[in-house]
Amino acid sequence: MARYVLKRCLQSLATLFIVVSVVFLLMRLLPLEGYFGDGYDKLSPEQRTAALQRMGLLDPWYVQLGNFYVRLSRGDLGTSIIYRRDVPVTEIIAPRIPYSMYFGVFATLLALALGLTLGVFMARRKGQALDKAGTAYIVLINAMPSAVYLLFIQLYGTSLFSLPILFDKYRPNSWILPAISLSLGGIAGYAMWIRRYMVDELNKDYIKLAKAKGLPEKLIMVRHVMRNAFVPMAQYLPAAILSTIAGSIYIESLYSIPGMGGLLVDVIQRQDNPMVQALVLIFSSVGIVGLFLGDVLMAVFDPRIKLVKGEGAR
Amino acid sequence: MSLAKAEKILEANDLVIKFGLRGQTLTAIRGASLDVFEGETLAIVGESGSGKSVLTKSFIGMLDRNGWVDSGSIIFEGRDLAAFRDEKQWLAIRGKKISMVFQDPMTSLNPLKTVGAQIAEVYALHRGYGPKEAAAAAVEILGRVGIPDAGKRHKQYPHEFSGGMRQRVVIAIAMACAPRILICDEPTTALDVTIQAQILDLIRSLQAEFGFTTIYITHDLGVVANVADRVAVMYAGKIVECGTAEEVYYDPRHPYTWALLSSLPQLGIKGKPLFSIKGTPPSLFKEIEGDAFAPRNPYALKLDFVREPPRFQVSPTHWAATWLLDPRAPKVEPPEIIGQLRDCGKSEAACADLGGGRAGR
Repeated sequence: MARYVLKRCLQSLATLFIVVSVVFLLMRLLPLEGYFGDGYDKLSPEQRTAALQRMGLLDPWYVQLGNFYVRLSRGDLGTSIIYRRDVPVTEIIAPRIPYSMYFGVFATLLALALGLTLGVFMARRKGQALDKAGTAYIVLINAMPSAVYLLFIQLYGTSLFSLPILFDKYRPNSWILPAISLSLGGIAGYAMWIRRYMVDELNKDYIKLAKAKGLPEKLIMVRHVMRNAFVPMAQYLPAAILSTIAGSIYIESLYSIPGMGGLLVDVIQRQDNPMVQALVLIFSSVGIVGLFLGDVLMAVFDPRIKLVKGEGAR
Repeated sequence: MSLAKAEKILEANDLVIKFGLRGQTLTAIRGASLDVFEGETLAIVGESGSGKSVLTKSFIGMLDRNGWVDSGSIIFEGRDLAAFRDEKQWLAIRGKKISMVFQDPMTSLNPLKTVGAQIAEVYALHRGYGPKEAAAAAVEILGRVGIPDAGKRHKQYPHEFSGGMRQRVVIAIAMACAPRILICDEPTTALDVTIQAQILDLIRSLQAEFGFTTIYITHDLGVVANVADRVAVMYAGKIVECGTAEEVYYDPRHPYTWALLSSLPQLGIKGKPLFSIKGTPPSLFKEIEGDAFAPRNPYALKLDFVREPPRFQVSPTHWAATWLLDPRAPKVEPPEIIGQLRDCGKSEAACADLGGGRAGR
């Protein structure tokens, strides 16, 4: 197990390296004009060259990339070049982390609690009204572009329930709409998968045997069906975490939540490279940890999965 | 064993079981009556769809959701199981007094639980054992069903066991609460031949030790010949002939039983095409008039198409439902092979011609 975890950690680092490098290089493909924003016309060519020189953008790409990793290895993420000039990136991001974290964790927990409950009830009442309503909800969420329903929620949620349209850290009820918006996709996903896996399990022969043993239906559901349906659910966890991240980027900017997601959109538009790189590093780390956790959970739950060749084999 | 003295342990009377299927009603069991005697081994044989599984499933209340007992009774320990409506009532019977072993051991065990835990579950449930006691009891019964090194292997998962070993585990689960009746639904069909014999031996030795009653469901007449005290032949939701194994094998009376025995490959004659029953079983969606087997029966009388034959007692332990047994019926010679079987039952020498006598016991 320890060997597997180590191996998997190294793989994760490699993935992280690739993601960060690719994003780094993609940012370098953006036109140089973008670095000046509206001020472009006001500067003379010499001033522009000097500014680009200062930002280190005139070096060949491999030198830039090399410098980035050398500084990263010292724990230095650089300073912002545009968003808040010359302020260390960490200083800008640090106060925003709690917002994104609370927001993301809360939405994920909400999605897990509601989604799994909905899915379990759908599976138990397969074909009945609740199952059909749940299916309609899942189809709706998956078929509609998220921007559409997210805007609807913001628009009607605020007017119908007189909730704040934008986030305000002094008004706790301004959390409600963004948290619900962020969890909607997760609820649909969790409900769909747990229902599907439970229905799969319910049709298996060992359920027949469990019943023939004399186990009451509730115990069969809890001990056998749900327990076994959770194994493939572990697979779904990383994807869910990734989609929560993706969702948070949009929703944070929609509600002006001062988290990292909104910031990322902002700094990409303004081409603040060090900021983008730092944020991408954080987001992809979270995603990769999710993938890693999914694999480990699978192995913990399912004795048939052997993580290391030879381990436990007879 | 002498069947005459044995007590009835379970009695199904005129059982009718129906299923709702896409708005139609299918009558899977059309008035089946069956007595099961204490300590015996009864085999229910018949082709696919004859209702043998449905019949026994109704003994433990495990009909599919769309099925119900329409009329008739199942008397067990003085209670009518057919009248059970509440799942709670079944929990006192199912797995405790009557348990079941299923066909495919590869899929009957939960892949994510250790075999020990799956057995211990039964002890905890029916006997109220604590976790430690239940685990110890599980190890003991695993050893008893022939799992070597049970002390270690109870911690293993089903995928670490072979098919035969898994079926032993399934049997251990069924045996765990010392049931009075063990229903084996084609317990050896999914296993290879050498393992089949071992499993049958195991069930027989457990039966001798614990004294439970066994009901086999099978379409393999070879298995029946090996283990059964009595045989019930089912066709289209009815029991058409019932008697001791000797009576049904060596002196069958119902044309369907003749046809079944004639299609045994072991009794086929080399060089001649294997006998098969022409036609298909009747649709159970419709009301069946007369004898259900009549359309496929070359010996059918006109009466067979119109009126259902009653039971005709051949001996105190043997009956068949066919008009051929009516005193007024014309005398019909059964197929040649059945005649040979009859001779074989009378003298050992006559068995020599019969595919090496393998149909005998």
